[in-house]
Amino acid sequence: MINITIDNKIVSVPKGTNIFKAAKDNGIYIPGLCYHPKLTQYGGCRLCMVEVTERGRARHRFSCAQPVAEGMIVKTKTPETQKYTKSVMEYLLAHHPLDCPTCDKSGECGLQEVTHDLKLQTGRFKSVRLDQPMKRDNPLLEYNSNRCILCSRCVKVCKEIAGVAAIDYQHRGFKTVIGTAFDKPLDCSFCGGCVSVCPTGSWQDRTLKFRARPWELKKTPTICSYCAIGCSLVVNSKNNEVMRITAEENLELGVNEGNLCVKGKFGHEFINSDKRIQTPLIKKNGKLRPASWEDALEHIAKKFSKIINDHGGSAIGGIGSEKCTNEDNYLFQKFCRAVLGTNNIDNISNMKSPSLNRLINNAVVYGMASTSLEGIENADTVFFVGADISEAHPVLGSMVRKAIRFNKAKVIIANTRNVEFGSEARNLLRLNYKLGTQTALINAMIKVVVDEKLVDLKKVADKTENFNELCSSLNTSEIDIKKISGTTNIPEDSIRAAASSIAKAGNCYVICGKDIQEDPSGEETIEALMNLCALINKGDNDKVSIVFSRENNNSQGVNDMGVVPGFLPGYLDIEDQENRDAIEELWDVKLSADLLANNSGDIFDLAVKKKIKAFYVMGENPIVNYPNGKKVNEAFKKAEFVVVQDSFLTETAQLADVVLPSSTYVEKGGTFTNMVMTVQRLHKAISQVGDSKPDWQIICNLAEKMGHEFEYTTSKDIVDEIGVSVPIYEGIEVNRLRRKGFHWILSLYYKTKAAVYRFEVASKKTNAITSNKKYPFILLTGSSLRHQGTYSRNSESLISLASECFVEINRKDAKKADIVNGDNIKIESAQGKLKLKAKTTGRVPEGAVFISENYEWVPVNTLRGNGYTNVKISKTK
Amino acid sequence: MGKRKKQTVTEEAIDLSKAEEILDKYEGVQGALIPVLQKIQYEYGYLQEETVNLVAERMEISASEIIGVATFYSQFRLEPRGVHMVKVCCGTACHVKGANKITQEFTNKLNVAVGSTTEDNMFTLEEVACLGACSLAPIITIDGNVHGNMAPGGVGNIIQETGDHGKSK
Repeated sequence: MINITIDNKIVSVPKGTNIFKAAKDNGIYIPGLCYHPKLTQYGGCRLCMVEVTERGRARHRFSCAQPVAEGMIVKTKTPETQKYTKSVMEYLLAHHPLDCPTCDKSGECGLQEVTHDLKLQTGRFKSVRLDQPMKRDNPLLEYNSNRCILCSRCVKVCKEIAGVAAIDYQHRGFKTVIGTAFDKPLDCSFCGGCVSVCPTGSWQDRTLKFRARPWELKKTPTICSYCAIGCSLVVNSKNNEVMRITAEENLELGVNEGNLCVKGKFGHEFINSDKRIQTPLIKKNGKLRPASWEDALEHIAKKFSKIINDHGGSAIGGIGSEKCTNEDNYLFQKFCRAVLGTNNIDNISNMKSPSLNRLINNAVVYGMASTSLEGIENADTVFFVGADISEAHPVLGSMVRKAIRFNKAKVIIANTRNVEFGSEARNLLRLNYKLGTQTALINAMIKVVVDEKLVDLKKVADKTENFNELCSSLNTSEIDIKKISGTTNIPEDSIRAAASSIAKAGNCYVICGKDIQEDPSGEETIEALMNLCALINKGDNDKVSIVFSRENNNSQGVNDMGVVPGFLPGYLDIEDQENRDAIEELWDVKLSADLLANNSGDIFDLAVKKKIKAFYVMGENPIVNYPNGKKVNEAFKKAEFVVVQDSFLTETAQLADVVLPSSTYVEKGGTFTNMVMTVQRLHKAISQVGDSKPDWQIICNLAEKMGHEFEYTTSKDIVDEIGVSVPIYEGIEVNRLRRKGFHWILSLYYKTKAAVYRFEVASKKTNAITSNKKYPFILLTGSSLRHQGTYSRNSESLISLASECFVEINRKDAKKADIVNGDNIKIESAQGKLKLKAKTTGRVPEGAVFISENYEWVPVNTLRGNGYTNVKISKTK
Repeated sequence: MGKRKKQTVTEEAIDLSKAEEILDKYEGVQGALIPVLQKIQYEYGYLQEETVNLVAERMEISASEIIGVATFYSQFRLEPRGVHMVKVCCGTACHVKGANKITQEFTNKLNVAVGSTTEDNMFTLEEVACLGACSLAPIITIDGNVHGNMAPGGVGNIIQETGDHGKSK
């Protein structure tokens, strides 16, 4: 720490801090418009001049560009600095249009604040103003070059945080503007970082559309409801309507440092969309008609009771939601198990990769699971395995870019597609394996580490179990670097380089994405990956952490809460009589005797076999989201009675007999658990839209109708119960979550020590890729940056930004089939067919086509069966 | 940049092999953007969208950043320029001796604004700061050849001579 004096106040700050930040952190104001703590220093606005006295000599320095030194005496307001700052502002204001009454920024504008602070009057200079038209070339952002003071913040945020560099200074001198190459329309990730950091009204959020002035907005911090990172954001509302989303201004809060992505920042229009379901709906004569809550709940209770009477509780299948809060999901499974008496409940992430819960739990037990996302910023090596973070988790990409910028982190990307990752990293290593060979690749890396003794093997053998078996399993003819290099299509050197860089000293983050998790051989690959991590784990200071990327905001929580057939809340084995007894006592109910009767096969199989007669679906759209769409469709058609709880009339809701309107994340409190098990709290920003209710309240009302008392008045009451009945959430307290998350992994470590790792060597039979003459292509699916489910689908701006889902085809394949961009393509598999427009690309390997599964109106799942999906493509009109 | 090549403006897709060659030479070299752009401009006459996009892809620098650099330095051109380059000196000495009249005469005779190119793509007219031959003021250069002590009356002749020369090429 270094001690300096700023305006007669002695402050102590870390070495390397600049004077500007030192002052700001200690509550001393220095005007400044170009410096931003998360961006590299620029020193372009010239406003932050201060007087610095060192060794008895006073000099003038720009505080953002001057690091602190021991004994410095800084004066921020001397006559000289004031005079200088005022003149600089005079120049800026001579240029700036001062159109504040018609500017959306007015009231939260940096330039306005400095003007006000310095008490500036009419300047001495004749105004020379640019008169350029407003640039509105996209539905989300607009740029007004006349208001721009060229502070470089947007340019830097675009390059350093978003990794896109879509904009830069164009031209020179008085003509300088911020723009794109050849004045093309903006084509970027639309993270909105430029709007967040702009100190003037140059960059504007078009979803606000002049509907509110900044001071009229009620600001409620809460957690984003799109992906599993769990970014903190601020909901800006007026008259009970969400006007815009801004980033959390205090950078120390939340996981995301004020960075957001296109969905988080602009995908809020669904909340007040007129497509929201306003009242409960009951199907009469094949048509859904509005009904009162009383009638709807009565109807459901009657039907459910009849089914339970006739066929037993197990004849009702429940589907929980990755979008709903922990409280909603906890009550949902409690309702299903205790009231309905069924254990046939599930959620989408568990259906897509049934072994994932067990594997994540192993990673936690062995002390390898990452406990925080911010830790990635200190990584020395980041290894992406089957993760497409630019599309799926863009803010995680910003964290990795920070590691690259400050830590010179080495990045290795293993994926079958050539996924995008924009960064300043010059030493990015790509391992573009052939689909189906990912396990071999990981095993080859293990072999390199062992053969070349990149780590202390003796230490590994001491710390783990089964190491000798692992070594002998490597000495088979199957695992031969040269051979694997041939089958994976990756040069031998790259495999060796990748192995040596993850084995070297330093923190290593392994990010295992959904391309691996949802692969038919995912379980085997993840086990190999954990072997690799255990092998290179060096100890406390050089830690290896695995992050299992989850898809939705509460994909982790829905599983934690036990909306899975195998586990009670907190991953307690439901087969275990003791666990069942404990939960019976806690819930004060007697669980149905045949709870585990119908427990074989997934719920859709059971429905197809007519063993499940009714579905209770909460906040999910399985018809288009669940894999094996044909089967899901059949299951729902065969069901006698379907209840869907959702905010929108989704494809599944349209099939329902009763639809109950549920509230979105801004209309309720609760908690979400992100992909590194950080539990964060939501805050209610607006009151319920229409007649909708939070899901947990609907469940309570329904339970009451069915003769059970669910006595919860607020979601806090449910958290309290979760804190008691879910062992991993023990000690969770709502009020403590106000500003800080609760890491359940950490709370687990307080109680237990990490277990000794045991290497898995049993080789499994993999689901091999079969070549199929009739269907010559392999279908790859993945995430999309611009869409994710029902929410983005009902956000107008996101739809106008990305209105079309494309089928991506390798350029060479396209050339052979005479396909060009924009052609209409029919994609057929043994299960179904789809029509989409073509996009030729170099990102997809030859012999494969890629379709994003996040465009909800494109039912990719109807193409997919079990295992890899073979498809054929043909041009149509 | 010394001698220039006569460039042809056609609708056809341009041949990127020269640019690829240049980029091959600078593969993996840090800070090579300006030399690469200079060499590409030498080959192609100006920086076209296609070449800029190729440089962006190969050097992993975004097109916006490249254009940011290219528009900062006056040596780079984003528009095709004429076969002949007319530079009228506007330095102090030339200005006093009536350089603006010379410029005026050129714009009238060629029917072109300063900084742009004639429709037939033969002449590009530019104003430059001092060329360093004030004793010959007012002075112009055409394709690097100096014409000193210019008078507005002589402009027509020079255009005629240069134009004929160009056509015979």
